[in-house]
Order: sequence, then C-alpha cells, then structure tokens
Amino acid sequence: MDGLIRQFRVAYAATNGEQLAETLTPDVQAHSAKLRAIWGPGDLRSMTADLNFLFHQDQARLSIRLSKEETSGWYAIYTAYWKAIGEILAVKGLRNGAQSSWAKVYEAWKDLTLLTIRGYTNHDFENWTIPCLYVTGRYLRLYAMRADAERVLSSDNTAIDDLKDDFDPQAEENKCLEDCARHLNRIFQICASDRAPLEESRKWGVYYAVNLLFKTYFKLNSEPLSKNILRAISAGRSDIPPIDKFPKSQQVTFKYYEGVLAFLEENYVEAEKHLEMAWLMCHKDAQRNLELILTYLIPCRLLTTHTLPSAQLLKPFPHLQKLFIPLARAIKKSDLRAFDIALRDGEDEFIKRRVYLTLERGRDIVLRNLLRKVFISGGFEEAKNGAAPVRRTRIPITEFTAAMQISGGEAIDADEVECLMANMIYKNLMKGYIAHERGTVVLSKSGAFPGTKV
Amino acid sequence: MVAPTDKSADKSATTKEAKPEQPTQQTSTAALEEDDEFEDFPVEDWPAEETESAAQTASGNGTTQHLWEESWDDDDTSDDFSAQLREELKKVEASKRR
Repeated sequence: MDGLIRQFRVAYAATNGEQLAETLTPDVQAHSAKLRAIWGPGDLRSMTADLNFLFHQDQARLSIRLSKEETSGWYAIYTAYWKAIGEILAVKGLRNGAQSSWAKVYEAWKDLTLLTIRGYTNHDFENWTIPCLYVTGRYLRLYAMRADAERVLSSDNTAIDDLKDDFDPQAEENKCLEDCARHLNRIFQICASDRAPLEESRKWGVYYAVNLLFKTYFKLNSEPLSKNILRAISAGRSDIPPIDKFPKSQQVTFKYYEGVLAFLEENYVEAEKHLEMAWLMCHKDAQRNLELILTYLIPCRLLTTHTLPSAQLLKPFPHLQKLFIPLARAIKKSDLRAFDIALRDGEDEFIKRRVYLTLERGRDIVLRNLLRKVFISGGFEEAKNGAAPVRRTRIPITEFTAAMQISGGEAIDADEVECLMANMIYKNLMKGYIAHERGTVVLSKSGAFPGTKV
Repeated sequence: MVAPTDKSADKSATTKEAKPEQPTQQTSTAALEEDDEFEDFPVEDWPAEETESAAQTASGNGTTQHLWEESWDDDDTSDDFSAQLREELKKVEASKRR
C-alpha cells in the first residue's frame, strides 16, 4: 500500500493522469509481484490502518494539497481497489489457495468503478484524472465478459428442459455485460455532461467512453444503442472538441465503429469515408485492426467505386486473401459461376462478418463486366469518311443471352436476361434502352458503361 | 426477482467446483480473444510517420492508388471470347427455332 500511495502522490503532484491511472491497473500478467505486495497479508484492518496513516496523518509529507472531499474519495477508491485485487489474485490462483470467480471479480471491480464515478459527482475530482475512469471502465468490460463466459461454461451441463418459456438465452448469456453497459453509459454521461470550460472539461473523456460503449453494444448485438450514442454526440457536437483533437487510438477506434454502423445500414458512401479514415490513420503495426477495417472497407469499395483490393494490399493478410481473392478474380474475369461458387464457399464467414449481403450485390459488377465484354467484342461500325470509329451500339439480346450462358454455365431464359439488363440500366451500370419488339439493346454512344472507359 | 437470485447462487456453486479445471478456463479466454473485436492499441497516440497511410504512400510513390484495382480486366477481352460467344450464339438461335 505504501508504494502504491507514494506512486499516487508523485502522479498527483505532477497532475499526470496516465500515471495516476497506472495506480489502478489490475494487470496481473504484467505486475503480479506488485499486486501481491499491495494485497499484502490480506488483512482488512491493517490495510485501513495503512490508508488512514497515509492519507490523514502523513499529510505533512504530502507535497500535494488534497481537499477533504478528494481525500475521502481516493480513500474509498483504494479500499475498493485493494478488495478487487484480492479477488483477482484468488481467481488466478495466486493467493495461497484462496478461490474466487470472475463473477466476484466483476462485482468487486464494479464497486471500484462506481466509486470512481462518484469521485467526479461527489468528490470534486479534476478532469486531468479521467484516465482513471478509462482504466476502471476498460477492465469492467473485460471482467464482465469473463464472468459471462464462466457462467455459460458452468451451466453448459445443466439441462435446458427446466427453463421457463419466457427465458431469453441471449439476455441471460450476457447478464454481466448488460449490467456493465449501464455503468459505461454512466461514464459517458459523466464526461459528456460536464459544463466546465473546455480546458478543464471531462468532455475529453467522451470518445474513450464512447469507444468502450461501442465495443460493448456490438458484443451485445445492440447496434441501435450505438446509433443513439452517435446521435447524442452529434447533437452536442458544438461543445465536444472535434475528433481530430483526440489521440489517434481513439480516433481510429471511433471511425472504425462509425464506419461499420453506416455499413450495416447500407450507407456505403458514408461507411467508406469513415473506414478509409480509420485505415489511413491506423498504426501500421496493428495488423489485426487493419484487417478488421479492410474486412468492411473492401466490400464498401466494391459497391461505391467498383474497385478491388490489389495483391499488394492483401499481402500481409492471408485470411483476407482467402476470403476476397476468389471473389475478386471472378469479378475481373466476369465469371458468374465462379462468383457464385466463391460466395457460397465463403458464406459462413461472410455471414458471420455481416458482409454477405453487400458482397452479393457484387454480382452486378460481374454482370456489368460481362455485358461490357459483349459490347467490346462487338467491335466497331464502319467509320464514315475519316471520322473516329464508333462502337456497334445495337446489340441483339441473344448475344447477351449467349454470354450469360457461357459465364453462368447454365441455360437462361430470354425474359430473365431482359430483366437483368433493365436492372443494369436502372442502376446506372449500363446506359441505353431495350427495344423489346426488335429484341435489341441500344447502348449509349458515349459511355455505355459509366466509369469503365467505354 | 427471487428466481434469478436462486439461480445465480447455485450457479456460483457449480463454478467453484469447476474451478480447478484451469485448461477449460484458458480456452474460454482464448475464444473471447479470437472474436472480431477491435483491439486496444498498445499506445494512446503515434506520430504521422507511423500510420498506415505513411507506410503505404512510401511504398507507392506518394499515393495509395496502387492498392486498389479496376474491377474489369481488358486483357481478357480476347478473340477467344468472341469465338466462344459466336459458338454459344448458334446454340441460342437453335433453341429459339425449336
């Protein structure tokens, strides 16, 4: 405890929030010796005696001035922290055979989180200390997920039969995480609602809190709640500092989730904008995050600009190669059959990542490429006295039918072909009209296939 | 309200029994991590030189253009396709006459 409070004083004297938050990390992997020293003999009485001495009697040696309010706030926080450490050491088997569960760790850490929040509502904590909110919020979420996993694991053996009709397995499965979401939301509110001038405002904690909430809501499959948060911060955007004033880790995470949310709403233009920002700003060594961004950016690009990832872009990501290269190849070769096969082969993964429906629309691009090929192979009309040659623009529908049969590998009805062509025209992937009576498609002389140089 | 508390109580009892099985717990943690969740960055902030944008533009003469390709392939529009198309066209015409 002594060492911990000394660290607290140094951080406090320097008004260094990061350093202060360090005193509340429960990372048992990295600091197991330190945490065991804090826990000491595990005696509540001697711990409170220590804290009493350090916070009250030893004030003279404090190079910092803590108000009475602040002192009692921090006193409560370190008491709760100490208790939580005890549970964490026990659950990891580092406390002389003492046992615990993640559920207990979660409860203990929740107490700490609530006390930290109280620090801002009741104990005049200043805004530079908000990294303490981050560290409590971050671990609260991790412990909630562990506690849920632990419960699911242990209840796997219990029979499902005795469950009631109104039993909602989803809600039960994520009980702790649902609870956690409410506390994280409190952290968000505490930050967003601060009315202090910007330099000393907790508004600087908003994006950190929002990112924690996004992660939580995604895990709970409640995207609408994420949308609510987005709306809340855009309404108050005037007094929340602009996103580019925040650290890059927060910007990238926020842009990723903002992009995926737009993606899920099929707003691909918007999604592309956010995802591309996230991708460009992401740390170059954060391979996993880059991979996640690209998982959504690639389908986006396919629909917005009809572009495909190059081999170089996919090079560091074997998994993305496996997912996207067969599709990209089929699109380039305008091979409908290969496209359908690639989509089917990747179906499970595509659905899991929620990109299936988007990729499915890529079939239009395969078809566009195929029709374009028919157009090009139609060659040119005889040029009239030295004028630039013009491509043949009147094309019998039978030619398109034949092309679709080659590419799709099965016979196709003439009416269906016409219908597909009409769709192409409607989607502005092809310019022209269908002369149904004559069984001909008349394509535009200038830019029959917009954006593809013919 | 009574039922859920009961349930959680006997669940924590089973949890205690299951506790010594360290390996099972390990796998559940692993399962959590292979999830598609956006990871925390090891550092809060980094200079522009360490962004993906800087890394990619350096490898591509100042742009990221080289990372994306057009979705069609003109090299492939060879005479082969025309020949194939004529071949298939005959079949279509034949089936129409029938």
